[in-house]
Amino acid sequence: MNTVLKTKGLCKTYIVNKRQNNVLKNIDLTINEGEMVAVMGPSGSGKSTLLYCVSGMDKVTAGEVIFNGKETAKLSDKELARLRLDEMGFIFQQMYMMKNLSVLDNIILPAVKSKKNHESRKQTEERGRALMHRLGIDSVGGNDINEVSGGQLQRACICRSMINNPKMIFADEPTGALNRSSSDEVMNELLSLNRDGTTVMCVTHDPKVAAKCSRVLYIVDGGIVGEKEMNHFDGGEKELRDRERELNNWLMEQGW
Amino acid sequence: MFMRILKKDLKRKKTMNIILLLFVIMCSMFAAASTNNIIAVTGGIEHYFEISNAPDATVDMRPNDEIKKEIENLPSVSEVRTESRICILDGNSLKRNGKKMDNYINMPVLISDKEFPMNYFDDDEKIIKEVPKGCFYAISVFTQDINISADDKFQFEIGDAKIELEYAGRFRGAFLGNDSNYSPCIIMNHEDYDLLYNDPAAESLKEDILYINTSDIEEINQLGYDNIYVESKSEYKGIYIYDMFSAYIMLAISVILMITSFVMLRFTVGFTISEEFHEIGVMKAIGMNNGSIRSLYIVKYFAISVVGSVLGFFGSIPLGNAMMKTITKNIIFVNESSILTGALSSVGIVAIIMLFCYGCTRKVNKLSPIDAVRNGQTGERFGKKSIMHLGRSKLPTTGFLSFNDIISSPKRFIVVTLIFSLCMLMMTIMSVFALTLKSEKILYLFDIPTSEAHIADLSYYPDIFTDFSNCEKAIEKTDKMLADNGISGKSGITMGSCYETFCGDKKAKIWYYVSRGLENDLFRCDEGYAPEKFDEIAMTGYAMEDLGAEIGDRVRTKIGGKEYEFIITGKFSTFQGSGHSVQLSSDFDGFALNDSISCFGIQVHFDGNPNEKTIADNIEKIKTVIGSDKVYTTTEMIKQCTQMSDTINAIKKMMMILTVVVTIMVVILMERSFISKEKSEIALMKAVGISNGSVIAQHAMRFVIVSIIACAVSLSVLRPLSNVIFNRICSMIGDVSGAECDINPVEVFAVCPAILIGITVIGSFLTALYTRTIKASDAASIE
Repeated sequence: MNTVLKTKGLCKTYIVNKRQNNVLKNIDLTINEGEMVAVMGPSGSGKSTLLYCVSGMDKVTAGEVIFNGKETAKLSDKELARLRLDEMGFIFQQMYMMKNLSVLDNIILPAVKSKKNHESRKQTEERGRALMHRLGIDSVGGNDINEVSGGQLQRACICRSMINNPKMIFADEPTGALNRSSSDEVMNELLSLNRDGTTVMCVTHDPKVAAKCSRVLYIVDGGIVGEKEMNHFDGGEKELRDRERELNNWLMEQGW
Repeated sequence: MFMRILKKDLKRKKTMNIILLLFVIMCSMFAAASTNNIIAVTGGIEHYFEISNAPDATVDMRPNDEIKKEIENLPSVSEVRTESRICILDGNSLKRNGKKMDNYINMPVLISDKEFPMNYFDDDEKIIKEVPKGCFYAISVFTQDINISADDKFQFEIGDAKIELEYAGRFRGAFLGNDSNYSPCIIMNHEDYDLLYNDPAAESLKEDILYINTSDIEEINQLGYDNIYVESKSEYKGIYIYDMFSAYIMLAISVILMITSFVMLRFTVGFTISEEFHEIGVMKAIGMNNGSIRSLYIVKYFAISVVGSVLGFFGSIPLGNAMMKTITKNIIFVNESSILTGALSSVGIVAIIMLFCYGCTRKVNKLSPIDAVRNGQTGERFGKKSIMHLGRSKLPTTGFLSFNDIISSPKRFIVVTLIFSLCMLMMTIMSVFALTLKSEKILYLFDIPTSEAHIADLSYYPDIFTDFSNCEKAIEKTDKMLADNGISGKSGITMGSCYETFCGDKKAKIWYYVSRGLENDLFRCDEGYAPEKFDEIAMTGYAMEDLGAEIGDRVRTKIGGKEYEFIITGKFSTFQGSGHSVQLSSDFDGFALNDSISCFGIQVHFDGNPNEKTIADNIEKIKTVIGSDKVYTTTEMIKQCTQMSDTINAIKKMMMILTVVVTIMVVILMERSFISKEKSEIALMKAVGISNGSVIAQHAMRFVIVSIIACAVSLSVLRPLSNVIFNRICSMIGDVSGAECDINPVEVFAVCPAILIGITVIGSFLTALYTRTIKASDAASIE
């Protein structure tokens, strides 16, 4: 299986009030194509920082991050932006969207901006609508972002992250602001994407969300202290409950 | 706790607080400077006359003790002061370094320093007590268009009396006049003066001006002397019509600047308070009452506005001085309580900010805690639909996002457009006025026929002032001179004299003009028709108002001792006689000896349609033949007459500088505050892979688009607006309606927009560079 993301000795340090705060310490990590990896850990352990560092959204203090064969530290800001635009997708806990654009325009914005995309605007819009249809939000395309529910907005964010067919989607607590049913819907979409071949790295506090992933990393104080491999989840309720139980036991062993 | 929240707020929201502080400084500066200017300008002439010890009236006459005594004995007269003068008619009587002076039109007037009937002021605005022997002071007309410096030597010669004096500097006299339509006045030491005065050749050049304090000027008129010319204090105000015109333009600019700064301030206060909604929501949620929340912000804005107003007050002093110096050097504008006025303006600014703040925080009462939280950092909008759609737009993405931002937040960009449009209008209107006030388009307002050259040297036609019939001789002489020198053309003279005119029981002093030699082809009547017969006249609206007359009415006047009755055939526009004028038919030849006659010199109309080069060559030829440099093109002549073109040019340049400053401030401060509010969106754009360059371009482009819209808006209203304002202004100088402005397309449609757009591009680009400091990962950490 091809490696999509690899880190070697990844470190991230912040200086706060003249004191050095080592948020990530020597992280070595490999994520292969088609994996769905959950990152868990207590608050302040460095989960989100890891996500931002590996996705090129934040600069690393030391170490290497190789995404799809490219070392991100060696890329210019422009090249990094291009990489994020064409090969990565992002989903945040808060459903950030451009307030002056409609839901559909928010979704197609990265595709319109991408130089890799040679479609006409109309074709892109149609593709955006198809994605929305797939995620069940095709009726709200023309709406302003304040006119849709949180669950619909998060699904729109997933559509935006998918619009350029990225190699990998990074999700930072994508269900953190949603109720259980919306959360399940969003996770099912991510699962479905993963089944179609998109690699997913997802930061979460929720064992039920992590139980749907094929691998779980456990971070404490900026270091990966545990890793649990699981089979690909095929979607059954019973299987999910079993996986969740298994994961909870493992997490308790890790000190969760 | 209250103070701790406040302290923390001032520290944490440093950028927005600094932006607000800068706006307050700017607003306070403009307000204090403008208020001072307004007070100085509105009281301008009255105050100048007061410090000059100006009398109620003057009488201009040949030295005559009998008349003087008679005036002194009038019951209404309380004081008579006399100023003796010598009027130099011969151009050769006054030379600079041996060369005849040609830089002024009218005859120079010499005044002695023996006893000043009025206060004259030097360049430092100090009263001149005496002139050192061997030196002289002169008014600006004398020094116009020449590079003169103190120590320059000038030769004065009357008959056998010859003296050489050194130029000591410029002086100002409230009744002396300041533009080329007036005589260049010179004051010298009484010993030097007496030397010239006592020469027998000076006998015919002597003149006395009586400065009279009286409660009834009419009594002097009723003495019935034809050879004295009485002028009231209010008539002298006409001298400063051009200066006051510039002053009122500056006043208008001051008002516009104040409006601009208040608009900016209102917007900034509203904008910064809307930034606080999230926190207001949190405070409401934890149970703080509305009064406490509002007072928190009111105290914060009070602190900022007090600091800003104090700094702005100090900044207003040099700004106000610079603005006043641009207007005129002819009037001593003083606001004696400028410090108090400035301080009061600054206090006013604090009060206005408090009002704005009170108004803006009123919304706090209406918001529920959750409304406030939602209306804060999430930037949600309610009840608005996107107008533009990315999928259907043909615009490039960056352009689309910029346009979409403008359309989605119309209020904030309308404010910017309004400010830019005002700046642009101020620049372009000044440009239009400066050009029009020297344009041949307004030649008709001087009652002058089509002509390309203007001979303004008095020594070329001295006789026409003493006998109107001599004007025919001057025309013949000029026509012959043109023919002898191979210049194909004809000459003419437009002359005027002021006469008491009656219509029924009403009377008024009206100027009568008539053109000779050249047909007054540019003359047009706004109503009725031009006079064709001897007893027909066209009259201005102002004159008709004075006399209560209408077209078709008959008016009576006495010209050269003979009674005339004229019928009014039409109404016309003119600058002549301050708009209180009459145009006679060309057949009229009634002007007579001793009538005080004025004219614009001799006009020459070249045959064919000569180009600029031919006109310039012909003018040079005429200058050589008559031995004078006082031969002007039409543009030069109009410029000399209106006197405002150069001042307006100076105001235009100052407006350009102000526009650059205001635009830069607005662009930088507003864009910086927009960026501060849109931090999360910028981070989000970067997170989804939009490059720094695109984000910078989007932010800069919004302001550039607004500046282009502002240019389009202001240029589309420029012509009608300029025409309306120009006619209003011209009606202060004369009786004018329907005058059309001249536009320099390069300056108005290229240079001015280029300045505004160029400054916006630079300012917005440099400010947008700040977006580089916002990282993609900030998307998750912003509240």
